[in-house]
Amino acid sequence: MNHNTDLALAQDLIFLEAEHLDHKNWNAWLDLYTEDAVFWMPSWINESETTTHPETELNLLYLKGKSHLEDRIYRLKTEDSFASVPSARTVHLVSNVRLSKIEHDVITIHANWLVHSFGIHGGLNRGGYYEYKLRKINEAFKIAFKKVTMIDDKLIGPVDVFHV
Amino acid sequence: MNSKTLSGLIIDSGNEFKVNRSIYTDEEIFKLEMEHIFEKSWVYVAHESQIKNHGDYFSTTIGRQPIFVVRLSNGEVAGHLNACAHRASLLVPLESGNTKAIRCRFHGWTFHLNGQCLVVKNEESGAYANDNFKQENRLTPLPKLQIYRGFIFASLSSEVPPLEDWLCGTKDWIDCLVDQSPEGLEIVKGSSTYTLFGNWKLQAENGVDGYHVSTVHRVFATTIANREDKHQLKDLGQTEAGRITGQVPSGSYDFGNGHMGIWTERSKPQAHPLWLEKERIDREFSPEKAQWMLGRTRNLFMFPNAFLMDNPSTQIRTMRPLSANVCEVTVRCIAPVGESVQARSARLRKFEDFYLTTGMATSDDLAALESVQEGGRASNAPWNHFARGIGAVHTKGEGELMMSSHRPEYTTQNWDHEVIYHGFYRTWLTMIQKGLTS
Repeated sequence: MNHNTDLALAQDLIFLEAEHLDHKNWNAWLDLYTEDAVFWMPSWINESETTTHPETELNLLYLKGKSHLEDRIYRLKTEDSFASVPSARTVHLVSNVRLSKIEHDVITIHANWLVHSFGIHGGLNRGGYYEYKLRKINEAFKIAFKKVTMIDDKLIGPVDVFHV
Repeated sequence: MNSKTLSGLIIDSGNEFKVNRSIYTDEEIFKLEMEHIFEKSWVYVAHESQIKNHGDYFSTTIGRQPIFVVRLSNGEVAGHLNACAHRASLLVPLESGNTKAIRCRFHGWTFHLNGQCLVVKNEESGAYANDNFKQENRLTPLPKLQIYRGFIFASLSSEVPPLEDWLCGTKDWIDCLVDQSPEGLEIVKGSSTYTLFGNWKLQAENGVDGYHVSTVHRVFATTIANREDKHQLKDLGQTEAGRITGQVPSGSYDFGNGHMGIWTERSKPQAHPLWLEKERIDREFSPEKAQWMLGRTRNLFMFPNAFLMDNPSTQIRTMRPLSANVCEVTVRCIAPVGESVQARSARLRKFEDFYLTTGMATSDDLAALESVQEGGRASNAPWNHFARGIGAVHTKGEGELMMSSHRPEYTTQNWDHEVIYHGFYRTWLTMIQKGLTS
């Protein structure tokens, strides 16, 4: 694996994910994930620490396996969710993308994010950090792990997979 | 606002029960609620597991007033206003932590955890006119603090009944949760706080509203059913959706003192994390109590500010009303101490599926409540109706499924009946009226 090539590919993938979420291309978004993907957003324990053991501590999101991501999209598509109709418009800004580790066919990427959304509460900004593990399959990366640390608390809801 | 205009906002005639929608939006009423309900009543403040060791503290509010509770060296729990006796700076700046003495960050006064003032900075050069200056400047204690089975309640008024009298029949339901482990309950690490742009009473109603479930949470039920079918999930991997679609026996209780409860039979009790302990529960408790613990879901509202839920997952939810139109809500998972990793993990995953503003059900509740708050501005249509079940009320639990020690005031055999709110609003009205006339 080549650091610069991998970083460029990774950055493309993360920007593409942001685009799919912002444009609500749900199926294309799901296609970016491996079948065993984990999507994790820890909760805050206190002013400075989040939960670190997702199995036995409370998370905001802990979706183990792509099928749990599919549940989210299933619910959105029904248009039967009070919180999701009308749905907020979002724009993801992803920056500070850094390749921090290469291990066999998996690379670890860290990045920062800001999402501006506009919905029933007007304009809202939320932000935080991403940690991705991307797995190379047939010369292309897929998302095997995504950890979202959202610095905001006292949340004005809803906050779904596409708001972060 | 006087007692008479206030009582005109509740129509309680026997055949109908209506509340004027202005009670959700009027800031003058909000101030009365804070003064005469939240700052006069018992209020749930924390769970003992949050302050286990000497010096552990937890800060929160009672009504509008910042307070904290702290574990003393003798194991007892003390509670004080979270304001320096000198010039009111918050003494405990974090939500929780550990300290062996409380030092104000403003002018350096230091207090014993029991509230006694230990140090007035530069006292000797202070030229105070009073020799007892330090002794007279202790922290203001909470007039009442009592613990029921790990749940710490406090009051800013000394004129409250003994806690156990206040909790009355809710104790049976609290016990059904506490008794799930010989070691009691603990708050699981992590929490979420959300800001509801709606009145606190909408949240109070919603947590014990069986009637909205089959509409607002229909999408949760279909999403979960789709998941369970697709992956042939069994037992702990399931989340019971039967109660959402209304296919199980259920009931609603007005416990008195504004406390409300709804219950349902569990459609799949083996989906409940406690099912792994069935053998022990059956051995240790009467068949009746075991059925309440294992076989029924229970949503309990402890007037005026907290919920205790035992559904597919378990939750303690607290409300901090900020204004007539805004309420801050914190949800925590409360679970039996010492349960298996398998049970704990299943409990948490079910919690995350449903209960959070990032979840697939609470988010829908919040949107519904905010829509009610907005719709309530249509003041030319001033009344909300709580009419369901009015012709099916049983008094003192006659003919109902329940534990025998405490009889609820009013019950119906349907969790989507709305008569439990009558007791809530009667308590609400009585407490404010008492405050206005005293």
